[in-house]
Amino acid sequence: MSPSVSAISIQGLTKDFSVTLRGVKLRAVDALNLEVAEGQVYGLLGPNGSGKSTTIKIILGLLDATVGDVRVFGVPANRVEARRNVGYLPEAPYFYRYLSGRELVKFYARVCGVSGATLKARVDEVIDWVGLSGAADRRVGTYSKGMLQRIGLAQALVHDPKLIVLDEPTAGVDPVGSAEMCELIRKLKHQGKTVLITSHLLAQIEDVCDRVAILDRGKLIVEGSVLELVGQRDRQALIVDPLPEADLEALRGWLAARGHTLNAVEQPRARLDQLFLSKVSRPGRPGGASAGVGSNEVPLDAKP
Amino acid sequence: MSVASVPFSFSRLSLIAGNTFLEAVRQKLFNFLLLLAVGLVASAQFFREFNFGSSELKFISDFGFGALIFFGSALTIATTAQLFFSEIENRTALTLLAKPLWRAEFVFGKFLGVFAVIGVFCALTIGLMMALLWHREGQLMDIRPEDFANGRLIAYGDLVVVGVLQWLKFGVLAAIVLLIASFSNTNLFTVVTGFFVLVICHLQYLARDAWGNVDNPLVGLVVRVLGFVFPNFQLFNLADQIGQGAGVSPIVALQVAGYAVAYIGVIGGLAVYSFRNREI
Repeated sequence: MSPSVSAISIQGLTKDFSVTLRGVKLRAVDALNLEVAEGQVYGLLGPNGSGKSTTIKIILGLLDATVGDVRVFGVPANRVEARRNVGYLPEAPYFYRYLSGRELVKFYARVCGVSGATLKARVDEVIDWVGLSGAADRRVGTYSKGMLQRIGLAQALVHDPKLIVLDEPTAGVDPVGSAEMCELIRKLKHQGKTVLITSHLLAQIEDVCDRVAILDRGKLIVEGSVLELVGQRDRQALIVDPLPEADLEALRGWLAARGHTLNAVEQPRARLDQLFLSKVSRPGRPGGASAGVGSNEVPLDAKP
Repeated sequence: MSVASVPFSFSRLSLIAGNTFLEAVRQKLFNFLLLLAVGLVASAQFFREFNFGSSELKFISDFGFGALIFFGSALTIATTAQLFFSEIENRTALTLLAKPLWRAEFVFGKFLGVFAVIGVFCALTIGLMMALLWHREGQLMDIRPEDFANGRLIAYGDLVVVGVLQWLKFGVLAAIVLLIASFSNTNLFTVVTGFFVLVICHLQYLARDAWGNVDNPLVGLVVRVLGFVFPNFQLFNLADQIGQGAGVSPIVALQVAGYAVAYIGVIGGLAVYSFRNREI
């Protein structure tokens, strides 16, 4: 594969849905252009109805584009071959309740062509990696939302894809579960995987994404690296020990003498989710936030 | 860009079929209908006084096949629609079709899973009916040995043949329901339409009989098309031939089986074509 090939390439994508029998169309995605480079964590943001899920479904070949070209590692997205290198975790995943977690991951592994001696090792490996070893033989119907997300991630990773598509991976999950999911995404990036992620929880996206695109009514509004988009290049923050009022006045004067202005004096605050995570620990979870999620790597050479 | 193709895989097909079978047998509906059918067949021996003049063994056989056809049809339509729409409504189809899996593998996997479920249903129902007939025939041989001077009257092999043909007929029905489900938006529409088609398929021989008597060429063409589009389910009713003359002709049985397989192939292909264009 040529190194110049994007993990995802979307050119002039438009998707219309017929909403009435008389042929009235609803435009879900409108002339979208996107390039996701290999190895990036890319956030696709937008309000409900902005076209995020439609775009993801077209990337996965579940929908056909009305107009435009969508490719995954250079292969047209509507071809089965394009999905060989893709793992997908749907929003609020629902799996076969009558299977155990291990049976479920094994089923998807076999669908993806993982077989023989690799199969058991690979299934055990990803289940361990998402921290579900202790619950792998329980029926999926008994899993919590956070556990469903993690078994969903395991099935998405079991065939060692190069691109992982995560649709709202932290929706409905408690802060500890969300933090664990974010940590897993960082691990995936560390392994060189490309991750496409949609979320409404913008603070979490900001923490894990290299680049983001914001969609609204099917159109691309903003695209760029997180630093470019939210960093204030004309401002700097200095964090110092508490200063007496006299020293503060002296500092203002010193800055004024050099043509600068002290714009704000604030007390730094920890984020509420960080406070929550520092107070709530889940020592029982093998891959829990406090234990350092997914300490064991998923080998990249475990091809089916 | 050249990429290695993903060939159609019977391994993936059997995985989908196996999972569909597992899901079906864990559903209450399957177990409920199976128990009802088995209960009805088993109860046939208690109704033998009401055999309306036909021979008692014939009555048990007719009663058993009646239960098989009635509950088998209901099971086929309900199970096929339910197992297909559970994948769509629970969005497990999203996860599955996002894998390197052909939609044809998905559709035919679903079909084979349902076909296996119906096979189990038919085998249990026919097996129970044969056991009952064997038991009662043995009793009658002791009571009226003169009637059985040449041995047992019932051709049990023919019962198996007719049971297999009924299974194939349910296979055709499952393929039709799958075709409807491939473009339908709701489970209810699929089930209701499936029952309508079942009735049409049982009555379509009337259309075939009628086309020779229709004067209007346009109506004649419509009748002729209907006669070919809908399979003739009356062809599968060979149970009446059991115990009569030479019994069920192997040639006829093979022809009917071939007829069923051809319809399953064509209708299944149409279901795949329709589902390929469906937006999940």
